[in-house]
Amino acid sequence: MAEEAAYIPYVHCQTLNSHGHALSSVKFSSDGRLLASASGDQTIRTYAINLKGDRIAEPAQVFTGHDSGISDVAFSTDARFIASASDDKTLKLWDVETGSLIKTLHGHTNYVFCVNFNPQSNMIASGSFDETVRIWDVTTGKCLKVLPAHSDPVTAVDFNRDGSLIVSSSYDGLCRIWDSGTGHCVKTLMDDENPPVSFVRFSPNGKFILVGTLDNTLRLWNISSAKYIKTYTGHANSQYSVSSAFSVTNGKRIVSGSEDNCVYMWELNSRKLLQKLEGHTEPVMSVACHPTENLIASGSLDKSIRIWAQEN
Amino acid sequence: MNAPIIDPLQGDFPEVIEEYLEHGVIKCVAFNHRGSLLAAGCADGGCVIFDFETRGIAKELRENDCAAAITSVSWSKYGHRLLVSAADKSLTLWDVSTGEKIARTTLQQTPLHARLNPGLSSPSLCLACPLSSAPMIVDFEIGCTTLLPVSVPEMPDVLAPQQRSKCAESGPPFSPAAACFNKCGDLVYVGNAKGEILIVDYKSVRVLALVPVTGGSAVKNIVFSRNGQYLLTNSHDRTIRIYENLLPGKNVLSSLEELGKNVDGLDGVEKMKTVGSKCLTLFREFQDLVTKMHWKAPCFSGDGEWVVGGSACKGEHKIYIWDRAGHLVKILEGPKEALIDLAWHPVHPVIVSVSLTGLVYIWAKDYTENWSAFAPDFKELEENEEYVEREDEFDLIPETGKVKVSSVNEDEEVDIETVEKDAFSDSDMSVEELRYLPAEPIPDTNEEEQDELKLIEARISASPASEEAGQNGHVADHTSSPLGEEMGETRGKRKRKPSEKAMELQAEKAKSSKASGRTVREKSRASGDQEIDGSVNGVDDDDDDAYF
Repeated sequence: MAEEAAYIPYVHCQTLNSHGHALSSVKFSSDGRLLASASGDQTIRTYAINLKGDRIAEPAQVFTGHDSGISDVAFSTDARFIASASDDKTLKLWDVETGSLIKTLHGHTNYVFCVNFNPQSNMIASGSFDETVRIWDVTTGKCLKVLPAHSDPVTAVDFNRDGSLIVSSSYDGLCRIWDSGTGHCVKTLMDDENPPVSFVRFSPNGKFILVGTLDNTLRLWNISSAKYIKTYTGHANSQYSVSSAFSVTNGKRIVSGSEDNCVYMWELNSRKLLQKLEGHTEPVMSVACHPTENLIASGSLDKSIRIWAQEN
Repeated sequence: MNAPIIDPLQGDFPEVIEEYLEHGVIKCVAFNHRGSLLAAGCADGGCVIFDFETRGIAKELRENDCAAAITSVSWSKYGHRLLVSAADKSLTLWDVSTGEKIARTTLQQTPLHARLNPGLSSPSLCLACPLSSAPMIVDFEIGCTTLLPVSVPEMPDVLAPQQRSKCAESGPPFSPAAACFNKCGDLVYVGNAKGEILIVDYKSVRVLALVPVTGGSAVKNIVFSRNGQYLLTNSHDRTIRIYENLLPGKNVLSSLEELGKNVDGLDGVEKMKTVGSKCLTLFREFQDLVTKMHWKAPCFSGDGEWVVGGSACKGEHKIYIWDRAGHLVKILEGPKEALIDLAWHPVHPVIVSVSLTGLVYIWAKDYTENWSAFAPDFKELEENEEYVEREDEFDLIPETGKVKVSSVNEDEEVDIETVEKDAFSDSDMSVEELRYLPAEPIPDTNEEEQDELKLIEARISASPASEEAGQNGHVADHTSSPLGEEMGETRGKRKRKPSEKAMELQAEKAKSSKASGRTVREKSRASGDQEIDGSVNGVDDDDDDAYF
């Protein structure tokens, strides 16, 4: 366990055991007030984040309605709505306050694997096992575009900070960047060997993408030069779509889940492994970093969510 | 931020109709500052705001007691307010985010054209050009209307007539004039029936300069480019003239005063003309020498590089595009319906034109698929190239355990947070701009759910065509694979270019969509009616069949 001078380690604060099945995704809302979790038990749950209280995360709402396990969940920018992607081939749009279902988006022909809102929250992008990325209109629920994105299941979709670009990754080893307005492919990023890509997201300024591949590696790619500039290793990722995140609240870091039941944290620039958060008893599928506080949430196949904070 | 990845869009102009928007009978359109929202005034007195990205309806502004057709819509600079003028002589100021009416006045005459002051962030001051009276400044806060001078009298030391009153009295009959604010909103440029451009300080109601338009025929439209450097006039002699604005961007009034003082020995009209010659110089003239048509709704492109004008002939929908040097670069032809309004998107090469039938056509560039984007080492060739291989290209060399040496210096500092300043923002962004209206999802009802499910089942069993396949040609190739089981076979197909036949069909469709009234790639946008889904999908299925 590497320690930097003046590095304050994260410690385990809370465990949430509300779900009845494995966790697939955890996300913080952009104002940091809520945490959402999606699970194979066909429900999504939200928790209110209260940093001053005893328990940081208090269960708030349960969203039921999907007929199959859920793979991903996303908050709209104003945290009024959440969208969920499920194995029942649909996406559902829910009202966060009331927990009620607003809309169901039909169109995908296979499991929907990933979902994200654009920053303006008037469009939703979703990736599916049917190898396409779909862009939906939030107001009407209509599918605006079908992008013929990949030749294998699409594992992640993300919008950049002004919503003009979408990045998608797939088991076919490619990451593709699309213009969200026209639906045209702008760039394809691939390496000589193309291991299946399990996760991708934009950096906060939209110039880089963090790519997780099933050869136990995380890479930071520069989009314009189409080359990777940083590599992070040490964790285990060869089977599941493990998500990773940027942590920018206290120094620039990369946080990722791992199949060896730990959460890994590296320094972004030096690529040094800073800490391994242990506690889960099964592979950690998803991690999320709070937008303003030094808080990390991790969801695992052991059905629990753990909250980690920096001790002060 | 996306500038290094996407090709620069400046210097491009649209070519084909991409889709159309429909909501009642639309009469006039206006883009907001960024082009993310399009306001459209309808014949039934309501105003609808489209979210231009999703091409759906973001908001509707409707007043129950106003049922007269809307004659013009105008956004405030940061998009918070919308000014709507209607055929019942009223001007209404709306707050866009709340959808509430801020103020409303009634004028003596129907304003044909009303523009909010572009210099203020929350303007309550606007310029209205009525049908047959002098342009006037309407101040909503004070509630007064000021008529602007339309001509400079011949007598040297009499200032132009001033009229300031609570309600505008119908003064001496002025012939119709066109007027617009300059970029910072402290001057008004008036084009009158004698073929002169008057630069007016509206606060003191004084004419500061005069620029005679060659030919001396009545000025019908007068418009500034977005950066305020060029001025366009559309005259009765069927010519569009471009003037270069010589005045500085800021502190225009003091510059004009300076110019006025420096002119010695001249008074009245002569003085005005001399000052005027220092404010505007004629740059170019555009006219169609062949058909000698009148122009309608001329305007600049967002970056001022192109000038677009619609043909005012009834029965044809033609849009002429010139570059600023004066060359006609394109004539866009739409369906055979008269054109009543035109707007160029502030940022993208997209034109929006309103036809007499009330449809809003969106013109965009014809897209040719960039195959190199899909495979980075794939180079597109325009034509066959002879390839001469190297001497040793096909030699068999025993692989010496090559280890891939990473030539990347991974220790370099990487900055993931700083964002470059937005290239498209002009002026200071001290005020929060209203770029988007929050999306309000329309809740599903039970029946719609059932309909959707039935549609999907029917589609899955009947034809493998995916809906909304009209987006780009090669989605059609994918439709030959049933849901995911046989992905292996079609995988190879997807990575190749579509067959020649598909390309031909696509080209034909693009050509026919230009001329025909109904476009192939349409998505009809009735206000969020879910039932439309059925018919749209049905239509698209028909189109898919045409591919095979």
